[in-house]
Amino acid sequence: MELAQMQKSLQDYTKSLFLEGVLDSQFLQLQQLQDESNPDFVSQVVTLFFQDSDRILNDLSLSLDQQVVDFKKVDPHVHQLKGSSSSIGAQRVKNACVVFRSFCEQQNVEACHRCLQQVKQEYYLVKNRLETLFKLEQQIVASGGMIPAMELGF
Amino acid sequence: MTVEHDIEAMDQFPVGMRVLAVDDDQTCLRILETLLHRCQYHVTTTDKAQTALELLRENKNKFDLVISDVDMPDMDGFKLLERVGLEMDSPVIMLSAHSDPKYVMKGVKHGACDYMLKPVRIEELKNIWQHVVRKSKFKKMKSIVTNGESEGNSDQNGVRANRKRKDQSEEEDEDEEEEEEQERGNEKKPRVIWTRELHNKFLAAVDHVGVKNAVPKKILELMNVDNLTRENVGSHLQKFRLALKKINNEANMAAANSHFTQMSSLKGLGSFHHYRPTPLGSSQFHGGAATMRHYPSNRTFAGMFPHFKSSLPRNHNDGGYMLQGKPFPSLETLHITNNNNNKAFPSFTSPQSSPLVASSNHLVLEGHQQSSFPSFSPHLEINKRLEDWSNAVYSNNIPQSNVHSKPDALEWNMDTTKTTSFCRDTDFGSSNAAQADFLDPFQMKQQHENILDPMTVAELSRSSSADEGLFMGQQKLENNFMASDAGSLDDIVNSMMTQV
Repeated sequence: MELAQMQKSLQDYTKSLFLEGVLDSQFLQLQQLQDESNPDFVSQVVTLFFQDSDRILNDLSLSLDQQVVDFKKVDPHVHQLKGSSSSIGAQRVKNACVVFRSFCEQQNVEACHRCLQQVKQEYYLVKNRLETLFKLEQQIVASGGMIPAMELGF
Repeated sequence: MTVEHDIEAMDQFPVGMRVLAVDDDQTCLRILETLLHRCQYHVTTTDKAQTALELLRENKNKFDLVISDVDMPDMDGFKLLERVGLEMDSPVIMLSAHSDPKYVMKGVKHGACDYMLKPVRIEELKNIWQHVVRKSKFKKMKSIVTNGESEGNSDQNGVRANRKRKDQSEEEDEDEEEEEEQERGNEKKPRVIWTRELHNKFLAAVDHVGVKNAVPKKILELMNVDNLTRENVGSHLQKFRLALKKINNEANMAAANSHFTQMSSLKGLGSFHHYRPTPLGSSQFHGGAATMRHYPSNRTFAGMFPHFKSSLPRNHNDGGYMLQGKPFPSLETLHITNNNNNKAFPSFTSPQSSPLVASSNHLVLEGHQQSSFPSFSPHLEINKRLEDWSNAVYSNNIPQSNVHSKPDALEWNMDTTKTTSFCRDTDFGSSNAAQADFLDPFQMKQQHENILDPMTVAELSRSSSADEGLFMGQQKLENNFMASDAGSLDDIVNSMMTQV
């Protein structure tokens, strides 16, 4: 594939993520923080996010599977996930967390299970998309090209 | 960081400002670190609150500013905030994904300079250096407090949660006021000015040990302020306790005419009224607040105006303290928002009322920001506006009748002075005729250096023109009512305030 074409694909792909609401402007902020002194910033942060989230989702599954669900434990996890997902711009994950938290407050175990599923779904989705995104970027860089700056015109 | 260091570094500042960032979430911490680097600050990060405290304790001047997450597993962010405030007195910014106002309030109460929501944006971080400047400016002023200069508190440290723009303009106004205050106070002998900051510390310390167990020695230790003696703390504590007691009593008191007369003898009576929307007890307050806007918070300002040339036989223990935020238990309930005030009285735009508005805004903001502190600005402003006010206030008494026609008139009245004062502003222009009448009695009152008894007040009321007599009497009573409440608080304040 030609470099220009790859760059265009990347741009289109990224745009689609924004349009679908998978990512929001916070992600753009992260991209803007990336520069020569910090060339892998975005992928580093996103990797941290994946690590943290995998752990949190695991803990959440365990907590919700208990005989007696301790919402005092569940809520902080969801809160943290909400915080980190909003920080990297994973909008749909964040929104799912907000819903999750409201059911936690109501102490509705059934609903919480469903919320957890929803959160997981959104999380895997964004994880998948971001991994694809990074692959595209790597291809461009490997071909000697520059990653185009994201336009905010959409 | 010493003050001199601050000044030297001013050219480069805020570049290189040393920030300690604390957050247990790795993702957020990493992002925060990068954002701060982008702002050209010098950043140290840790994911444990305990580590943060150790770092800070190692060298109290190591960091200019601390940014901390609220929810951390090893220590509550608020606890950390309190500790830092007490031990190091560094500015602390809270960070959280919780947008619940309760958390913001908690942050403010515990002394946070600011409260940011995640995800943090770089624009917000670009301005955080202002908290460092503010704090060091305050420290500088505090350090010369006992050298015979009465310096006002120049900032509202740790009080503004989310009120950046308003705060800034408010600060400017306050600074002006404070300078005036300082000039006036320069002839006085050295005394401890209980600035908002200082009082804040006092409150934090009292909170820490519990009001019942509050002893000056402990409080002094916890406060950790130079040039403050146990005696200073002791008398302040005494006043504080008295104020609390009075506030509780006040809540049940009906017209305390004596108070009113006392108040009237104060020059700043008018403004007093103005600022003390309801020197009523908190219970009344709430009632009023529910219906009226949240003027009640202004209440706390009652008596916060130290600059009355009070000839009242007040006790000035150590040359007077400025009572800051006396009625602070009720402060938490006082939420005045600027918006409310403005909406309430759109007519405030009249020139005469502008001082009022400004002051009230100040009050409002101040009250809102920090639960335990009425701002300095009110009394600072009072100095300026005393004369204007006294006239304005009294001449505006009549307009209150307009207010009466509102539903919940009773509450309205009770509610107060604040509303009254606002109304006064509004009506001021239109009730010129009434002014003359009011001025006389007011002047009369002003001449009385002593506390007038209820009889005198009644006489004064009667002395007003027949037509308005009734009204005025009514008004006056209300005013009295308010005044009396105000008066009692004023008493407290007066005794604690620095008299000009």
